[in-house]
Amino acid sequence: MGGVRILEWLAPAVPTEGVDWATVYREEMPRVFNYFRYRGLDRTLAEDLTSATFEKAWRARDRYRRERAAVSTWLLAIARNVAIDHFRRSRPEVPFVEDAAGDEETPEMAALRAGQSLRLGELLLELPERERELLALKYGADATNRAIATLTGLSESNVGTILHRTVVSLRSRWDEGGPQ
Amino acid sequence: MSDDFLSRLREEPRPEFKDRLEGRLHEIDLRESERRQAPSSYRRFVPALAGVSLAAALALAFSLEPVRAAAREFLDLFRVKRFAAVPVDPARLERLAKSGLDFKSLVADQIEVVVAPQEPEVVGSPEAGAAVAGITARQPSVLPRRAELAETKVGRLGSFRVRLDTAKLEALALAAGADEIEIPAWWNGMTIDVEMPPVLAMRYARPVAPGDTRPAGDPGYVFMQSTIPQVDLPEGFDLAAIGRLGLRVSGMSAEEALSFSRAIDWRTTLLVPVMVQGGTFREVDVAGAQGLLVSYESPVRPTSEGTARRPRQQSLLLWSTADQAFAITGPGGGMDLLEMAQSIR
Repeated sequence: MGGVRILEWLAPAVPTEGVDWATVYREEMPRVFNYFRYRGLDRTLAEDLTSATFEKAWRARDRYRRERAAVSTWLLAIARNVAIDHFRRSRPEVPFVEDAAGDEETPEMAALRAGQSLRLGELLLELPERERELLALKYGADATNRAIATLTGLSESNVGTILHRTVVSLRSRWDEGGPQ
Repeated sequence: MSDDFLSRLREEPRPEFKDRLEGRLHEIDLRESERRQAPSSYRRFVPALAGVSLAAALALAFSLEPVRAAAREFLDLFRVKRFAAVPVDPARLERLAKSGLDFKSLVADQIEVVVAPQEPEVVGSPEAGAAVAGITARQPSVLPRRAELAETKVGRLGSFRVRLDTAKLEALALAAGADEIEIPAWWNGMTIDVEMPPVLAMRYARPVAPGDTRPAGDPGYVFMQSTIPQVDLPEGFDLAAIGRLGLRVSGMSAEEALSFSRAIDWRTTLLVPVMVQGGTFREVDVAGAQGLLVSYESPVRPTSEGTARRPRQQSLLLWSTADQAFAITGPGGGMDLLEMAQSIR
């Protein structure tokens, strides 16, 4: 039985208010995982924290109210709390040290990809906490500026401004590192 | 300003991680499902508690003797890092028994006692008991009101050997309607050795005071601790398959058993069978370790005066560390037990 089918089978037992939790898992899990990756965590830690996030969310599904926030935003709110707890417990953070090599990648491509990942991780870790968090939400979790504003308490325009400045700065430092 | 350099580094989670997490979520779903199907707003179960060596030492009562024997032999095989509750439908077990399923013949007869369990030995102090049990005694610094240490015992549960009989296992699978589970022929005659460690049990009771109306013989609170049981499994033995068989016998559907089986690590999870009647269970945190709190109504037993005693709520709290397993039993819904457990040093 495939993973999604497990959740489909369970769906009748869970009050969902119309939320298709199997789809939520399929679509949101990679976003939450990448949020943790963009917070500079290696794959193992990102998996651990993704698990913690979804386990918390699954136990709290009864309390989710779609009129308050999109389910993706609700999940990211949980993920942020999980991240805060993690960073409170364990410092220093570790940069990206490995990356996934797709089946279609040549060893050269994989090496290049891993190098880029490591370098990006190092650049992210040099950012102030707020900027790093916004980038993780934007590029790791693929959150909209509006969702980020909801999550962080910043205004939407402020989110956009900070992200733009941060990306410009990062782009410049990325280019300084030579051709990619 | 291009931000491609940021976006392109997103990656897909590993498929094996995706499946594993989905399995865990499924386990949560199963528990939620059980809770929702229960008659009250809280899960109602009576624990069988059979496979738990610590609970066995206390000889907690549960209703179906054959089930206790069957479950115990299954559950003692697992190396304990965490506990998970499995609902057992007593009506189904009764139906199986009435249909001719002989638990003793099909399960218990595959068990050979190597070292027989002994009667618990009373010792002078927890420290003395710890020396006998070969562990470092841990004790709660918080006790229920007016409770004090009344007695310390060391129980020796012995060791046993499971000699698998594939014909009996196949018959069990067939009787349980679990014909989707394959019993490998090479299992036949294979042995699994289980050595149960000594159990240190400390009983805390309230001295009888004038006006105390509690029934005589109330055991109070019992805190038990032991090292993790040693289990020698043959190389390549598929615990999940035999675990699934146990789940099917307990009443799970084939789909549920398969999903549950995928969701847990069979080599580290001790399943605690609980009867789907009259009790509750939930996961709890005990000093950072995952524990399982089971509450139930104690069976009605006649008093010395020959009258039936009113059922009383009892609870059992189970948890483990890297090298030790712990249990506390006592009256009530479990809050006392949790407070005791959190204070154990």
